[in-house]
Amino acid sequence: MATRAPAVACIGIIGKQNNPLHISLFPPDHRAPLEFSFLLSSCLDIFEARLPQKTADQDFGLLQAVDERLAMYGWLTNTGVKFVIVVDLEGRPATSSDSRSVIAAGLRDADLKPAFRALQSAYIGLLRNPFYDPDEHSPLTANAEQRAGSTQITSKRFINEVKRIGEAWAPGLQSL
Amino acid sequence: MATQQPELSSSSTTTTDPFVSISCLDFLLIELVPMAYRIAAELSAREEDWTRPIGALNTTTTTTGTSSRAQDTTSTTGGGGGGGGGDGGTAGSVAIVDDEETREAVFYRLEMLGYRVGLGITERFSRDKPRSTDALDTIKFLCKDIWLLVFRKQIDNLKTNHRGIYVLTDNAFKPLTRMSAERGQGDSMLARAQPVR
Repeated sequence: MATRAPAVACIGIIGKQNNPLHISLFPPDHRAPLEFSFLLSSCLDIFEARLPQKTADQDFGLLQAVDERLAMYGWLTNTGVKFVIVVDLEGRPATSSDSRSVIAAGLRDADLKPAFRALQSAYIGLLRNPFYDPDEHSPLTANAEQRAGSTQITSKRFINEVKRIGEAWAPGLQSL
Repeated sequence: MATQQPELSSSSTTTTDPFVSISCLDFLLIELVPMAYRIAAELSAREEDWTRPIGALNTTTTTTGTSSRAQDTTSTTGGGGGGGGGDGGTAGSVAIVDDEETREAVFYRLEMLGYRVGLGITERFSRDKPRSTDALDTIKFLCKDIWLLVFRKQIDNLKTNHRGIYVLTDNAFKPLTRMSAERGQGDSMLARAQPVR
């Protein structure tokens, strides 16, 4: 069997009310959306449980290892928005640029930091978009105004940026 | 657009190199409240346009008099007045009746604007800060970081009764420095603004 290298399987952006704002799958055709939706829901309790002890940093590191392949990493911004990255340890065939040590020793929390930072920059960019109204995506206002339809992020640029981050990430990268 | 966002790199907090002139902020603040009033008035007028035709019809049908033609014209001008500006009399009476309601709508609108701005600023400038766990942390962020960003100085004094009330004192609050006061009244006003000890 050819050696495989870690790759991002899923990126989830979750709002303050634990509402899904955006979910990207990598590669989109080979992942079951429902399965990852369940996985993202399952990690919300971990955020909740760690909140009291975790004061210093926004980086929550490894949330849980789902099985031999999938591992979930989390990040919580100061305004309560959660970023979750699911890594598939055998997500893509290893290339010559992948160092042997990463494949052998597994991932460190620090490997995910650049990806989270890039996601946060993308989200800040989204908030600076005058046509993005955060309230519109909160289930509270959607229910109050009895609005039908999705409360997910529709900004094309943000979605493309998330896609770019998910596809470009590899262990050991310093910036995205 | 990506090339237009060099300031997003967290290294340049740009407290010393602002992108917006202080005058712009002054003019924006001057215009903000009247704009909120205009929008609130316009929205309530539009809402009235939606609800009034039924009422207007009712009055014309009940007052079946000889001067039905004259009645018709007055009722139509009254009904369409909201959208097209209307005459001074009706607009004035509407403004008095809805005064409290309009004020509430204006306050709500301004509060939502502030919330939206605050959310964006906090997300942008607290990215490297530790997460605040209690109210005091949040207040400190407001006093030190936000004030430094917006006014280039920190809050001069912070008092609290440790039961959820915080009194922030700024001895030279920038938006008020350009404001004129009645001669001789400035000092007494300042004294009245002090928190009660």
